[in-house]
Amino acid sequence: MEPGDERTYSTTMATDLAPISQIWGSITQREEWTDDERADVLNDLFPDDERIVPYLKRFATLMILSTTIAAFGLIGDSAAVVIGAMLVAPLMTPMLALAASLTYAQMRRFVGSLSLIVIGTVGAIATGWVVARIAGGSLTAASLSSELLARTTPSLLDLGIAVAAGLAGGYVLTHKGAGSSLPGVAIAVALVPPLATVGVALELQANDQAIGALLLYSTNLVAIVLSASVVMVVSGFVPDYIRQAARGKIGLRLLPWGIALFAIAVPLAAHTRAVVEDEVFVGAVAAAVGTWDPQAVIVELDADRTGDQASVSMTVATSADHQPAWKLASAISANLRIDLDLDVRYREETTDAASTS
Amino acid sequence: MRLQRASALLIVGAVFAAGCSSESVDERPIIEVFGTFREADAAHFAATVRPFEDEYGVNVRYVGSGSFVRDIRERIANADYPDIALVPQPGLVTEFAAAGLVRPLAAATADAQRAAYGDSVAATFNGALYGVWFKASVKSLVWYRSDFFATHGYEIPASWTELVELTEQIEADGMTPWCLSMESFTASGWVGTDWIEDIVLREQGSDFYDDWVAGNISFEDDAIVAALETFGAVVHTPGRVAGGTNRILNTPWQRAQDPMFEEEPGCLLHRQASFQEVHLPTAASFGENTKVFPLPSVDGTEPPLLVAGNLATAFNDRPEVVSLIEFLGSAEAGKGWASRGGFTSPHPEFNPDWYANDFDRNIGEVLNQARTLRFDGSDLMIPAVGTGTFWSGMLTYVRYGNARDAAAEIQLGYASAEPFDE
Repeated sequence: MEPGDERTYSTTMATDLAPISQIWGSITQREEWTDDERADVLNDLFPDDERIVPYLKRFATLMILSTTIAAFGLIGDSAAVVIGAMLVAPLMTPMLALAASLTYAQMRRFVGSLSLIVIGTVGAIATGWVVARIAGGSLTAASLSSELLARTTPSLLDLGIAVAAGLAGGYVLTHKGAGSSLPGVAIAVALVPPLATVGVALELQANDQAIGALLLYSTNLVAIVLSASVVMVVSGFVPDYIRQAARGKIGLRLLPWGIALFAIAVPLAAHTRAVVEDEVFVGAVAAAVGTWDPQAVIVELDADRTGDQASVSMTVATSADHQPAWKLASAISANLRIDLDLDVRYREETTDAASTS
Repeated sequence: MRLQRASALLIVGAVFAAGCSSESVDERPIIEVFGTFREADAAHFAATVRPFEDEYGVNVRYVGSGSFVRDIRERIANADYPDIALVPQPGLVTEFAAAGLVRPLAAATADAQRAAYGDSVAATFNGALYGVWFKASVKSLVWYRSDFFATHGYEIPASWTELVELTEQIEADGMTPWCLSMESFTASGWVGTDWIEDIVLREQGSDFYDDWVAGNISFEDDAIVAALETFGAVVHTPGRVAGGTNRILNTPWQRAQDPMFEEEPGCLLHRQASFQEVHLPTAASFGENTKVFPLPSVDGTEPPLLVAGNLATAFNDRPEVVSLIEFLGSAEAGKGWASRGGFTSPHPEFNPDWYANDFDRNIGEVLNQARTLRFDGSDLMIPAVGTGTFWSGMLTYVRYGNARDAAAEIQLGYASAEPFDE
């Protein structure tokens, strides 16, 4: 947070939109930039001729290592390891560079950073594939770890995270003294784990899941580039003489990214709707189970609803004198006006105890 | 969340296939039908009654249970009657009729049933008919791996002796002859009863069979014990059934034939009814790698045919319920299901063009042309035996292998039979 922000936060929250406008005010707060300072930041984003080789070496090394860490973490179902991989991941730099090249209208740097992103993307997927090949073990397309599955069904929430993280990334870059926050941005909008997921899923021939993870990665990529670009323009990082020379052209250059973001939002919205529908359905099923047999405890539940067709598989723990499945099917079906296939497994509640001394 | 299927003790399935959704349609009177069809079959049944729903302005709400016999008994005990039950056991319908629970058919419907089938199949009590025959299956079939038969030079056996010789030849060639499994929720064991019925019908003839089914011949009769042992020669000879007795007892019957279609077939023969068609694994293709032949007779003459099916019976005489019963007993009843495949109509006037595929059409023809036709005996026996000790006794026999003990256990069902309303 910038000095002076406390003052704005201490003012009254007169309307619901007040916090948002305050944050926006903070993002758009103009820093005083000299051309030398701008050049330093840009040089970090786009290493020049002398530094390009070490930069590429560092990028390739960290890319392979971070994807390897991520793939192991995903296969081993360890959230901590996956987060570790995010901290090592170097992909954020070329993305911010891409945003800068768009706003500064620098074609050579645009092509350079886009190429680096494409190569990094393909390399990361290949690394994920190789790790799964070597260490995939007992994983199959039907039994992916929950860390993997978590990256295969992106929703509008992920889009929101990516937009906010892009704003944060742009903010960190264009506001002096905010640099230490970058690792947090990298964690919030993970780039390498979805790519590792694509590679692992492809190796397991789980193509639908691979496409889902690729959609998550695309969401992050487009949202970061677009929102970081916007921050660079409104925060004054892009100097006025460039903005005036470009006139409406900056908007024109960002337009394809805006369209891409919208195009991605469509499947995400569909995904989100399906997820919400399934959750509502699961809630209705759980409520019906409570009426059907108050003693029943749902041990496992797999529910899927498409339109007015649904299937439910569940395991319930209940007393030995259990209720028949047809009654539950009948109740759910009548309440929700759907056709239902129901499988119930009963796990009898038995207890046992022993002591020795 | 994925359901881990390993850790449970019992599974029961049920399906609800409801009708339509628009407001006016929702206000129609509802006919509740309770039966055994689940999953895709539930949707097929819903499709088959749709013309009736539209014509009579009613909604048919169908509920199918994987534990039908247990569930219908419990519903009756709780006075929670469906309007119509689709019962696979005529014996159970007769029991309902004797207890005054179900309604006799309307005169015209009864006459039409008698004209189509005589008295051989329908449930009768005190001279009145209580059910219409809706769906038929032919049970005396052996599914086989036809492409392997061709490459190994195996021939379709014409007599029981040739069937035994074929079995031994397959074993000599280093393969397992039979696919067989009997797990079926609370109805586990029925697959074994079908084997025994087919064997008794072949070894002892149809008159003996009728007497046995009627309860006039004991399971402890030497002829029945001998039939059990004929079956035992299949299940208890090591290497004769894929997976041995463990797989027979623990694998769902629908999955019995799956090993037949592995790269190295786990079995080549499977005695199972025509309804196995809809449960074949995706690797199976009728006509290409699997076909059926009738289970042969003892002496090579035309084999008798064991059939089964569902009887629709009504628990009340509301006019729309009576009309649905009439519809289900008509030749047109199964048209909607037949067009989706996996259905054989028992009705002699069912138009063969209505079938979706040649397999169903052939089964329909076989059914209509058979000279000796007998309904599945366990379905006709009193329920305490037919859906009770005969089922459980087959599991006992497969597990322990003593035919006389199993026969005694099954026969006990007659002694323990209680009046229905207790």
